[in-house]
Amino acid sequence: MPLQKLKNEMADALTLEWVLHVKNYKLALDKNRCVGCQICALACPKEAIKLEKHPQLPGQKARRAKIDIDLGKCNFCGICDVLCPYGAVEVTSNGKHTLAVVEKESFPQLIRDIQVDTSKCPPSCEKCEEACPLNLIEVSWVTADGKTVENLNGLAETEKKTIQTRVDVEKEHCPCCRICAIKCPENAIHVRKFLYGKIDIHPEKCPEGCTDCLDVCPITGALYLSNKDKKVYANEMFCIYCGACKAVCPVEEALELKRTKISHTPLRSGAWNKALERIASQVEVTKELKAKGSRKATESVDKRLGWRKT
Amino acid sequence: MVRKKAQKKKKIGKSRIGVFVCHCGSDIASVIDVEDLTKYAKTLPNVVYAEHMNYPCSHEGQETIVAKIKEHKLDRVVVAGCSPRLYEPTFQKCVSKADLNPWLFEMANIREFSSWCHSNEPENATAKAKETVKMAVAKARLLEPMQPIELPMVKKVMVIGGGIAGINAALDLADMGFKVYVVEKTETIGGYMALLDKTFPTLDCSICIEGPKMVDVGRHPNIEIISYADILQVDGHVGNFKVKIRKNPRYVLAKNCTGCGECRDACPIEYPNPSDMNLGTRKAISVPFDQAVPLIYTINRDYCIECYKCVDACGARQAINFDQKPEEVEVNVGAIVVSIGYDMYNPEDMEAYGYGKYTNVHTALELERLLLAAGPTGGKIIRASDGQKPHSVAFIQCVGSRDANKYEYCSGFCCMYTLKHAVMLKEKYKDAVQVHVFYTDMRSGFKGYEEFFSRAQKGGVNFVRVKLENRKVTEDPQTKNLTVYAETEDGKPVAVEADMVVLANAAVPKATAAELAKMLKIRLDNNGFFAECQPKIRPTDTDVPGIFLAGACQGLKDIPYSVSQGSGAAAQAASVLSKDSWFVEPLVAHVNEDLCSGCRICESVCGYNAISVEKVGEKALARVAKGLCRGCGACASACPMDAVTMPNYTDTQVVAQVKAALERGENQ
Repeated sequence: MPLQKLKNEMADALTLEWVLHVKNYKLALDKNRCVGCQICALACPKEAIKLEKHPQLPGQKARRAKIDIDLGKCNFCGICDVLCPYGAVEVTSNGKHTLAVVEKESFPQLIRDIQVDTSKCPPSCEKCEEACPLNLIEVSWVTADGKTVENLNGLAETEKKTIQTRVDVEKEHCPCCRICAIKCPENAIHVRKFLYGKIDIHPEKCPEGCTDCLDVCPITGALYLSNKDKKVYANEMFCIYCGACKAVCPVEEALELKRTKISHTPLRSGAWNKALERIASQVEVTKELKAKGSRKATESVDKRLGWRKT
Repeated sequence: MVRKKAQKKKKIGKSRIGVFVCHCGSDIASVIDVEDLTKYAKTLPNVVYAEHMNYPCSHEGQETIVAKIKEHKLDRVVVAGCSPRLYEPTFQKCVSKADLNPWLFEMANIREFSSWCHSNEPENATAKAKETVKMAVAKARLLEPMQPIELPMVKKVMVIGGGIAGINAALDLADMGFKVYVVEKTETIGGYMALLDKTFPTLDCSICIEGPKMVDVGRHPNIEIISYADILQVDGHVGNFKVKIRKNPRYVLAKNCTGCGECRDACPIEYPNPSDMNLGTRKAISVPFDQAVPLIYTINRDYCIECYKCVDACGARQAINFDQKPEEVEVNVGAIVVSIGYDMYNPEDMEAYGYGKYTNVHTALELERLLLAAGPTGGKIIRASDGQKPHSVAFIQCVGSRDANKYEYCSGFCCMYTLKHAVMLKEKYKDAVQVHVFYTDMRSGFKGYEEFFSRAQKGGVNFVRVKLENRKVTEDPQTKNLTVYAETEDGKPVAVEADMVVLANAAVPKATAAELAKMLKIRLDNNGFFAECQPKIRPTDTDVPGIFLAGACQGLKDIPYSVSQGSGAAAQAASVLSKDSWFVEPLVAHVNEDLCSGCRICESVCGYNAISVEKVGEKALARVAKGLCRGCGACASACPMDAVTMPNYTDTQVVAQVKAALERGENQ
């Protein structure tokens, strides 16, 4: 059998495959999770990923941009998988989700810093679950004898007191927008963003009545429609700077989006520098390299003066 | 003008021509009345002697010609026999033994042009032969003596293509003391032989016998390997070819790379390995196989993500350089051996066999890589569909070869490698695997090959002789098992179930052959392989002096035959290189500078870049590079000023021939 290079476009998935006699490489894009943001297209070192705008029909809401991947260019490195804020891409080899770029430390991983202190959770509170715009949180309760309960209504008051709250977050799909953390009444959830930046909407440049950016934004509340002038504004508290809005904005200067920092595991990699340059800017790469330099200096001081470590 | 004519007439009047008519055994004499032809020749003006004899080309025949030249004071000789392509040089040497200038010899082809093609009408054949002789005599009268052109010899040689044929040619030439450049397109020399597991009929490990030779090439003080390189342009001529080569960037510095492989281990990216027939993968920085020569790693930038892990791994050796650019070099050599090998036909378009459609249908080279211990499966024969060992394997011969719709020729080595695969499977797995070979003719014609066929038969291989037509493979979509359908010679249908089917797909001319042929100005044959000068007695020569052929690029051949031809081509090249200068026929264009207007028409018609217009003082004049000119005469006929002439093909000479042909003589 000669090498098979396959591409399959389905309603809710796009798959690319290399089938060799002894090996199988597969890339699967979950279209239900993909929001048409810019990250993978910018990060791809082979420039294999393209964003395609859907033609807008009059009277209809804007649709999220569509991702297309060039089978001729893709080398199944998995950098899109690593960087997708929504965890919509999965690259596997022989069915295993182990990425050589991560294993061989040639590409960093995003740091999704999500901590939940369930001891603070008030009984029967499900605010976080309700708040998550992507339905990634599931709150449940565990009784003293280890039974998981979905609904507290059926329990006796004594049982309710001994109950423990469990908050399950699908971390690998979480873009860390922090809505759950803000909405938590007891400050039990701690989330740190991994994408930092700046978003500016210039309402004076927006076409009359255009809400395209708002229509596609996956994070509820990151963009909102002002009651005063019926224009869209950004709320940087929740915005994760993924760029799904930028991908569909019809006016070049109306929406300015800049990414300034990405939290990632530390390592040296040319591929990462290139990705960072494209996703953020050359300035950020320089900053990181400088930071690495000073960190190295600190480390060497630490090494010499062993006492500082303690 | 009048005086000139008179002079010429005087000269013609003086010339003494001898005509020798050849019987060529019965090839000529059985059709043409040689007696009558000889009598006729004697009647032609200036012919002072004519005779017919069995073989003028034989030693005895040549002695006779020499004797008759002396006896009759002949100053022009015509031999009426076969084509000058083969024997003109022989007779030119012969007449020069009698102190006659070799260019005062003319040949009349009465074999190919008369006796062979008009064998059923002897009278007409004889009449045509008479006219042919008449024309030759008419031209012979006007022949002028000439001196050969001397070209200096660059004592270096280039071998294009580092497969087993090229390796042998290079080693032989280097051992004889010549500087050899081996130009290889891929990352390593070795060719197809380096990809094989075993070789027939001895079942030697292929790389174990080729590897040391590859290493010898790499280490030989007289050999320089220029690998991962393309030939861009070839100029010049025998004695001094100028070859422009582009060294493609490996992004690894040859002088710093130690071949340790630490970069490969650090690299996270894999891509399908063409050396493994894409059954397995190789790293984005790697060598195609461990025994590669030269052992220099290469980065495939189509797949590399530039993480620079290899740079870290290489460390202080600093062998990796992402800024490496293609480098152009020009090499001067006196002779060239072409040994670029062949390609394998991809049988995906022959749907009946299901290659590319059915998972368990393989080509023979894929099976070869599965058998190889260093191959992608570690030498285990496993099915791609389920990873299981097959219990029955069916081989189908002549896929694409001997097929009027694909490749009419026989690929030559498939019968033998199928026998090899069949024997290996049988001897490795014994009764645990059934082996069926669907063949039409088993071609096992060289030393030890028929015995090997017997070994396969005795070893329990089931040989099924079938027609070449109506063969088909189908697949059970659930089990992915296959059924081979065919027809026996007497028309009976046969069907055999198999877990794996292996196709003996045709070998085809290298995709780059046509382009290289154009650069070297050598011919391709009807099938697209390089054409030898003469198929029987000059199989390693091309039409271009100084360019020789070796291996499968001249016609498909197996390893021992390629090795022999490699050595043969080396000997041929050495016979050129060992001379201090090379003499070529003076049949090159001559420019009359008084007539030339510098219009450049000759330049535009020359197929060999041999004539060009240069500024000479005030005037632009056409100049001929004598080593490049092949004497085709295109410029001479195109020149509007009649400034270009071809010696011994002058207008006067050709017109004399035409007149002789059209004149109504006594024989009509």
